[in-house]
Amino acid sequence: MSVSSVLKAAIAIATLVGLVACGGNDSRTGPLVVGMELAYPPFEMSDKNDQPIGISVEIARALGEHLGRPIKIENIPFDGLIASLRTGKIDLIISSMTATEQRAKTIDFSDPYLETGLCLLVSKDSDIQEIGQLNQPGRKVAVKNGTTGHNYAANEITAADVLLFDKESEAVLEVSQGKVDAFIYDQMSTYKNWTKRANTTRAILKPFKKENWAVGIKKGNEELRLQVNEFLRTFKAQGGFEKLGDKYLAEQKEAFAKLGYPFYF
Amino acid sequence: MLFAPQEDSNQDESKKSQLLSFLLAGLAFSLFTYFVFAAADYHWDWSSIYEYRQKFVNGWLASLLVSLAALFVSLLVGAATVIIQKSRFLPLRYSATIYVELVRGTPLLVQILFLFYVVADSLGLDNRYVVGVAALSLFSGAYISEIFRGAIESVGKSQLQSAKAIGLTHYQTYRYVIFPQALRRSLPALAGQMANIIKDSSLLSIIAIREFTLNAREVSALTFSSFESYLPLALGYLILTLPIMRMARVIEKRIRFET
Repeated sequence: MSVSSVLKAAIAIATLVGLVACGGNDSRTGPLVVGMELAYPPFEMSDKNDQPIGISVEIARALGEHLGRPIKIENIPFDGLIASLRTGKIDLIISSMTATEQRAKTIDFSDPYLETGLCLLVSKDSDIQEIGQLNQPGRKVAVKNGTTGHNYAANEITAADVLLFDKESEAVLEVSQGKVDAFIYDQMSTYKNWTKRANTTRAILKPFKKENWAVGIKKGNEELRLQVNEFLRTFKAQGGFEKLGDKYLAEQKEAFAKLGYPFYF
Repeated sequence: MLFAPQEDSNQDESKKSQLLSFLLAGLAFSLFTYFVFAAADYHWDWSSIYEYRQKFVNGWLASLLVSLAALFVSLLVGAATVIIQKSRFLPLRYSATIYVELVRGTPLLVQILFLFYVVADSLGLDNRYVVGVAALSLFSGAYISEIFRGAIESVGKSQLQSAKAIGLTHYQTYRYVIFPQALRRSLPALAGQMANIIKDSSLLSIIAIREFTLNAREVSALTFSSFESYLPLALGYLILTLPIMRMARVIEKRIRFET
């Protein structure tokens, strides 16, 4: 092996390694990076100019004000949020995420800030009345990848066919075209999806499983977790959640009150 | 020793230097990968992935079967399209051209959604696997028809004139002069297209077909681990595509010697 060729190879490797070693991010000093999937109105969405808006965005901004740190919102698919948090790409998850036991093994959660539940969206002329009727051979159940509905189906729906979707919109489309029997999702979205397609779908809003939403924090970051908890308490005491509810969810609030299902902050 | 001989020299690289160079390149890639993962500060946990190994196997098989079916159908579609494109009845010829241009000019994702939620829905076709294979075949068929067309048109004009001179009919010219040469010339590109079909089949997850990528993403979502799910995913695709790419190279070499 000639000296020059060894040298060339060594330089090539050194360059590669050097390129990689320069990576890495600094936390604490910069802005607080909040991850959410902007595809869940009215909690996380983007306006016509592609700017993030919604209840979670306002909560994030209020948190930033409380801590005196600037906020940066990162739009990340829901099933990638936890991985992003684990790898330090983001500092917090505020994305209508339910604090489940299983998720709590990988990340920490703040105190819950909202209570909701899983329910069903079925097609208009379906005979399904409750979740128990779904778990039978030949039935098709749609869920969104990574959601609590998906988790529930993975554990409880054993006889029926579980179809996995990336996007809520496709799952709703499948229900309205009668391609699947039901879509397992949370109450507020199910209500919203039903109002949009009221002539092809039917919502069974009674929750068959209760769940709590909380802010996700990297495992072991106690300092930030206590700060977030303190913020949530103050925000609640100041009526912040009430105001956001009136601003974004007035219609749902009324509808749910009529049906007698609680879902509030 | 680490350099290939000059193009015009007739000596070959020795087996030893080939192996050494390959190892060196492999080492560079391994180092790169190692540092990328080391920089990400990630805690590996393979135990939860192992629990879901059946999902990986099922997804891999589904991807393989869907791709094979799509390859077979797309060969038929491609051949039919090129025949129609060579037809002398102009409306037919233009329909084939419109099909090829539409398919090649729009994203596969849009085609899958359109085919399943609009076309199949109005036809009452509910089997998503059938629609998935159809979408992949229509997509790939357009490309394959272009491969065939290119191969057919690469047969020199002088040969066609010679064929005419010795009194071959139109059909005979195709059967004995154009077709054998065109088929051989299109083989490397076809193998590449096969690899593309396998990779493109991952887009079928959008209509909830349980193929390899969707199952890996499901495991990733259920176990909250991404790298541990995506590494087997990448490897699984490589197991399918590498032999095909390799085969394409071999065919390419052999054809070069024959002509």
